[in-house]
Amino acid sequence: MADMAQMSDDYSPDRSDSAASALSVVTRRKASDLTARGEPMVWAMGGSLAFGLMMILGFLALIFWNGLTAFWPKPVEVVTMTDGHVIAGEPVRTESYKPQKDALEALPANLRASIEAHGGMSTRTLYRIGNYDFYSNDFQWVPVFNVKKVERPGDLTLVERQEWGVFIGRLVSISEDGKQMSISALDAEHDKARALRGKRIAIETDEVGSINRQINALRLSVRRAEINYGQGSPEANAEAGRAAAETAKLNLDFDRLSQKAAAARAAEDALKIKVAEIGGETREFGLADFVRYYDANALSLLQKFGVYFSRWYEFLTADPREANTEGGVWPAIFGTLVMTVVMSLLVAPFGVVAALYLREYAKQGRIVSLVRICVNNLAGVPSIVYGVFGLGFFAYVLGGSIDRMFFPERLPNPTFGTGGLLWAALTLALLTVPVVIVATEEALSAVPRSMREGSLACGASKWQTIKWIVLPRAMPGIMTGLILAMARGAGEVAPLMIVGVVKLAPALPIDGMFPFIHLERSFMHLGFHIYDVGFQSRNSEAGRSMVFVTALVLMVLVLALNAVSIRVRNRLKRRFAGDKF
Amino acid sequence: MTDAAMSTGPASDGPEGNRRSVVYKRDKKTKASVIWADRIATRGIMIGGFAVILAVFMIAVFLVMVALPLFSSGRVTDTKSYSLGTAGADIVSTSMDEYRALAVELLKDGKLSAFYMANGTRLANPPSADLGGKTASAFARTLRGDDIALAFPDGTVRLGRISIDPVVTPASATPADAKEIAPGVKATATTLYMQVPGGQTRALQPKIELQAPIQVAPAGTAIRFIDYRVGGTSESPVETFVTVDDRGTARLSTAYSQVNMMTGETTTSTVNTEIPTGVATANVTGLLLNTPADRVIVALDDGSIRRFDTRNPAKPRLAETARLAPPGVKLTALGYLNGENSLIAAGADGSLAVWTLVDRKSTATADGLVMTRIHEIPHTGAPITALSSSQRTRLFLAADAAGGVGLYHATTERLILELAKSGGASPVQTALLAPRDDGAIVIGRDGGVRLWSFAVSHPETTLKSLFGKVWYEGYSEPGYTWQSTAATDSFEPKLSLTPLIFGTIKGAFYSLIFAVPIALLAAIYTSEFLHFRIRGIVKPLMELLASLPSVVIGFVVALVLSPIVENWIAAIVIAFGVIPLTLIGSAFLWQLLPQPLALRLDGMPKLIAFFIAMAAGIWFTILGGPVFERLFFGGDFKAWTTGEGSATPFLFLLVLPISFLAVFAIGGRILGRSYRDSLRTKEYHVAGFWELGRWLLFTVLALGLAVVLAKLFASSGFDARGGIVDTYVQRNTLIASFGMAFAVIPIIYSIAEDALGAVPEHLRSASLGCGATKWQTARWVILPTAGSGIFSAIMIGLGRAVGETMIVVMATGNTPVTNWSLFSGLRALSANINVELPEAVKDSTLYRTLFLCGLVLFVMTFILNTFAEIVRQRFRKRAAQL
Repeated sequence: MADMAQMSDDYSPDRSDSAASALSVVTRRKASDLTARGEPMVWAMGGSLAFGLMMILGFLALIFWNGLTAFWPKPVEVVTMTDGHVIAGEPVRTESYKPQKDALEALPANLRASIEAHGGMSTRTLYRIGNYDFYSNDFQWVPVFNVKKVERPGDLTLVERQEWGVFIGRLVSISEDGKQMSISALDAEHDKARALRGKRIAIETDEVGSINRQINALRLSVRRAEINYGQGSPEANAEAGRAAAETAKLNLDFDRLSQKAAAARAAEDALKIKVAEIGGETREFGLADFVRYYDANALSLLQKFGVYFSRWYEFLTADPREANTEGGVWPAIFGTLVMTVVMSLLVAPFGVVAALYLREYAKQGRIVSLVRICVNNLAGVPSIVYGVFGLGFFAYVLGGSIDRMFFPERLPNPTFGTGGLLWAALTLALLTVPVVIVATEEALSAVPRSMREGSLACGASKWQTIKWIVLPRAMPGIMTGLILAMARGAGEVAPLMIVGVVKLAPALPIDGMFPFIHLERSFMHLGFHIYDVGFQSRNSEAGRSMVFVTALVLMVLVLALNAVSIRVRNRLKRRFAGDKF
Repeated sequence: MTDAAMSTGPASDGPEGNRRSVVYKRDKKTKASVIWADRIATRGIMIGGFAVILAVFMIAVFLVMVALPLFSSGRVTDTKSYSLGTAGADIVSTSMDEYRALAVELLKDGKLSAFYMANGTRLANPPSADLGGKTASAFARTLRGDDIALAFPDGTVRLGRISIDPVVTPASATPADAKEIAPGVKATATTLYMQVPGGQTRALQPKIELQAPIQVAPAGTAIRFIDYRVGGTSESPVETFVTVDDRGTARLSTAYSQVNMMTGETTTSTVNTEIPTGVATANVTGLLLNTPADRVIVALDDGSIRRFDTRNPAKPRLAETARLAPPGVKLTALGYLNGENSLIAAGADGSLAVWTLVDRKSTATADGLVMTRIHEIPHTGAPITALSSSQRTRLFLAADAAGGVGLYHATTERLILELAKSGGASPVQTALLAPRDDGAIVIGRDGGVRLWSFAVSHPETTLKSLFGKVWYEGYSEPGYTWQSTAATDSFEPKLSLTPLIFGTIKGAFYSLIFAVPIALLAAIYTSEFLHFRIRGIVKPLMELLASLPSVVIGFVVALVLSPIVENWIAAIVIAFGVIPLTLIGSAFLWQLLPQPLALRLDGMPKLIAFFIAMAAGIWFTILGGPVFERLFFGGDFKAWTTGEGSATPFLFLLVLPISFLAVFAIGGRILGRSYRDSLRTKEYHVAGFWELGRWLLFTVLALGLAVVLAKLFASSGFDARGGIVDTYVQRNTLIASFGMAFAVIPIIYSIAEDALGAVPEHLRSASLGCGATKWQTARWVILPTAGSGIFSAIMIGLGRAVGETMIVVMATGNTPVTNWSLFSGLRALSANINVELPEAVKDSTLYRTLFLCGLVLFVMTFILNTFAEIVRQRFRKRAAQL
């Protein structure tokens, strides 16, 4: 790049006098020389733009491709190695790599020579061999030089299980209570087992859970009475007596339900399936543990689509399993949406009011312009700083006081005194309020002065003018700012990790229990899900496809919000286009 | 507007009311509801707006409020003194419970004296140990204070325990004969009962248990010095003690206790080993043992110590003779700090210093470790005679011969609290720091008791410990260290912000080096060369990237990109040279096109050509990487970074830009104006040939010059390794800067493009109208005008890079290093907060330090952004005036 600076220097305008003297001597045929076109510099600039665009498009393509293909059923390959070892697995990806020296030395001379001819690089394929409970490993790299034979036998089945990840192998037989059945009855029996399982889980989580909650509520009411009236006071004793009687009743219910659940479990466990992995080792599993199974190499296109969409359906609607590396992300999607909505409800009025104050009410002067600069800057303060503030002030100071005032019976277990949905939403509202203020102010200042003056001259009060004249016209800008704030809030992770996001929330923040919206609960978030599965799980490879899909969902959410903001801006602009004075 | 319309409408009081007035009278009053709506709105908006703005500013205030207590030294909350009437000289040791309610003195004859600390009321009949009429000739206790060892003139040693175990019982369990000695406090002859919240009482009962005597020295030889430690695990403790008897013999003794599984009986066997000290008992002034019993220190009266290595208990050996005080100055007190890695040594000249073993691989000592003074603590007053170390931090209490008492912090080398001034009080017999570091008790020779309650919440932080170099024990020199937690109890948190600030700056610097050229060049092209319709597509596309969640970028960079970069590291390294060269080479090839064709292809085809050139550059890189690696880095770049092979190849890459600049500057000068003039007489594409030739020639020359320079630098000892490259780790600064570039490029691009677009159109038109080319217009008219706007774009990009969290957390190893290497990790302030804050206990030192990190980050970005904002506003004003 050095030459361009040099060349352009030679034709700087302040040398025009010498250029002029040169002109008189040389017979010019062209207006200027090549350096004036600055071609190398133009190419450097164009190349940078190309690079930037390639970066973005490559990034989007990577996420979309990996995200969209993650659920597509892959064939299962049986690889026979040169040493006779056989594995069966889904090929995940192939890459070129540099084999270790000792691996190379163990190779026959001709292979080694061919690798050395390629600059010491060879290729290898990653297989997802599953069967973690058999091999204590579910991924395996296979260097291309170790492969003797690759086949795709039609009778291999891939099973997604409730636990231990996928199983790859052959289904041998099914049995109920030890009674052997034909494998052809598998589909019907599997449906039966899944139905039984669903019923049991409904008992265990909903009914038993409800009893547990009631018992806990009774315990808290006793504690509350003790705090209010003093330990050993007649009121507290009466409450304790009442609670004991009710708890005893509930415990009876609990026992009854436990028996019911145990019976359901027994019925469920009676259905067994015997499987054999590729090496021939057989094991028996509960049929209800199978989430989905298919003969990987014998699927028609339609069946493949069936598996694909069924996986998407599970992903979008089900709870996660296997430490978040499988199953769905519904709680995370829900958490992200609820958090974003609560945040918008908080940020919209505050942001708009602050902007109205700054633009319409405050006396314009040095101080206001200083405040404006500061507000502008706050948009650039790192999000993690807001997270620190959110934890320290909202959760510990505010939440701690709320706990002491309203929930003393639950102490020392915090209710609001720790991270939760409300504090996360407030933190993000604080983080995005400068965005809304700036956008609203810009929109307000774009409303022509003449319109305000016209309205005031007609006798409207200041508030009437703002309400009926200024705000409607500033609406596109305000909406854009708000939606951009939502997009930023939805994609932000760092502060949330401090103020209330968890890897696995026991309950959704909105449910059928009074008071229905539980602002104190911690919640799951798509962005944190990506971080957690990608970086904190047992095997980052196992969660990799999940991370891509989650990233895709988050990105689509954020990009959709951005796109909507642009649409809204354009549409509202058009609506008011004719109103210009 | 309906309200307004109604309010100005006619007041219809009916025909009767208006009969007398001839003129139709209008009510000019505004409707009350309108006035009230306006008032409420005004008030509401004023208050609300003000509150929101205030709330936002409160962030900084709150961060300061939380971080500020870090710098407050402690304060004394209560002082008491009374006399108990026991002769101070008879007291061998003092203990207290962790609530500072009951203090227990052990006397020489085995009796215990226990008293309620708040007012000195004694328990009537505390337990005592039966020493068979003997009095102890030496005494030792463990640092925690519960385990004691008594040595006797007949050569025996008795191990034991003094305990005050608090038991919480219902209030009703207090015996009826307990007398109230203070509000809420009752005492029986043996036990103290204290009311605690929840209607319960805490019973404190001192106990003393002694094991059977162990004959250590020959019968009748008095033991003069003893030190005692309990190691091992709680299930199978190893009790070790070291003794020096009257004849000058030092012994290391280990008592192994074994519980018989069948009978439950405990049998103790003792193994004694003699330590060859070679000094007379008269010269010994102190004796110290550590918990693993692998080090014995004998202090002598000439101010020196002898350190014995007892890692092999059967064969102790002298490891080192060190002098802890100037010649002729006696050591008046010697003790371990918590963790037993550092010694506090007080000299008769009033000096106070902390010494630790530093591994210097020295040949002067048997094990290479050298006793080194790492802290010197300012102390004025009489020589210190009593020390008491904290059980949780590096605090210690020191009392001097004139009754002065001070609370010191070893690592920060300062006096935290001066509890009593030196002089006036009786010399101190024993001093004890409370188990929770919240109080101290000092008993003088005259039996006078002095008590203090104090609050020292963050003694370990000072400005120097946060930002300066601190010499921590276990390190061979002072340094900037961040290590907040470790597995052991006696761990000392090392909270230096310097490596974190360094990491932040390092990450931001490298990512900007990568991002700024790309973003600015792309912005100039978009603004000045691109057709506005294409710009309408390209710009939003680039801005789309700005809204991508950084966690997605971090994930892609860390899990997808980093393995690729690791495999292709040589290609990545040469990409910085190959891709620009390919682009510029393509530019010279493009100049070969005849003028009409070049003009016709100027729009979209040229844009596509950029993509092709870029792709070609990447292709060359992929091809060239392994070749380059094989030719110059011995086929393994990563091995090269650890120090194999010659320094020249990488230096070649580094000096390449300089040699290019030099060759093109000098070469242009030599070819001179006549060459340029001759070019002007030629057709464009012919001139293009000449230019291509010139460029190729210069490039070859530049490469040659780079080789020569690299050789020159390498032979004079320069090596990039240890500087900007170092041992390769998979998650490194290079990866993180790629990731941050993803986040920063769209921001800089977008703001810079806006700034360029804000340059008034008439300037552009005028320049083009005068015959300047687009390039000339951009370079000499637009860029200087938009310069300050572009500058602020860079500043805002820098602000974003400084605060970026998730990408740094995910893409770097979060190692707090302080080197500039691209291939090692970094730990940024933001990432540090993110990683540590979820684990930090509220109001702990770590918690407050993390708030300080947040504050530093806030201030850094606020300054950057304010600066950028002011520059930008100035630019806007100027652009508007043009």
